[in-house]
Amino acid sequence: MSTQHVDKSIDCKGLSCPMPIVRTKKAVDEMQPGQVLEVLATDPGSVADMKSWADRTGHQFVGTEEEGGTFKHYIRKADANEVKAEQKHPHTISNEDLQAKLGTTPVILDVREPMEYHFGHIPGAQLVAFGQLEERLAELADLKDQEIHIVCRTGNRSDMACQLLAEKGFSHVKNVVPGMSQWTGPVEK
Amino acid sequence: MSKRKVAIIASGGGLDSAYKVLNIATAAAATEAEVAIFFTFEALAIIHKDAATMLTMGPGKEHYVEGFKRANVPSISELLEVARETGVKMIACQMTMDVTGMTKEMFVDGVEVGGAVTFLDFAYDADVTVTF
Repeated sequence: MSTQHVDKSIDCKGLSCPMPIVRTKKAVDEMQPGQVLEVLATDPGSVADMKSWADRTGHQFVGTEEEGGTFKHYIRKADANEVKAEQKHPHTISNEDLQAKLGTTPVILDVREPMEYHFGHIPGAQLVAFGQLEERLAELADLKDQEIHIVCRTGNRSDMACQLLAEKGFSHVKNVVPGMSQWTGPVEK
Repeated sequence: MSKRKVAIIASGGGLDSAYKVLNIATAAAATEAEVAIFFTFEALAIIHKDAATMLTMGPGKEHYVEGFKRANVPSISELLEVARETGVKMIACQMTMDVTGMTKEMFVDGVEVGGAVTFLDFAYDADVTVTF
């Protein structure tokens, strides 16, 4: 790729999965944001893997060229603040801020499993286990334009739930972070 | 920003199981996931210092050995090294160790010993769980 300046090149020719990815990760870790890495590989699986790896880690997959059975993959290291930025629901509320609002009966969806909910939840929180969220969307249709607070144990499931709801047109969803694991407010059983 | 979590249960002790477990684990770790493997029953052979002689392909699968060489597949010890370097949490099942008389010293560096709950503690929040 003569049009592209390469900052670093690693040779993974002859290596099989998962080594090209392992070496790529190591090399990218040692580079500066914005720099471009060239990965030489002969493993045909690396063509799809390199792209998935970049998508998942947030680095930019620039492209792949093939030359005489060798693949040349180009990856541009992303800035720390652009890495993974798109994987998180952007709107969050802290445990404390939610607790302060409890007097105004906010809408709270608890997306943990029924058993977790049973052993203690925020007063007024409605149980919708994450696994059932998609099939129960119709019941929640009235809440589309309301502010909805989503809570789970540590903020992971609720983050996925927020993304799902936002994608389905719910306009004011907020992820409660970190969630019930650190909740010090009132609890109902 | 929390990372993706991958929880792997390894119970088979063949060379093929070892590759399945360690390939997924190292690829996940390279993709910036937090990874934990719970080694139980025959799979303790994978983290044994004598893994090279303990892990074999089962009957009828010998042709893989030649294939591994031809495809230049990394060795188990190389993959274990990568796993340790990239922070893969490796937990040996205490119960199996008691049953077979194995001790922690028989395992490669970086292995910790724990019960099912030690693994579950991690697995409860896992995004992906795989069993081999």
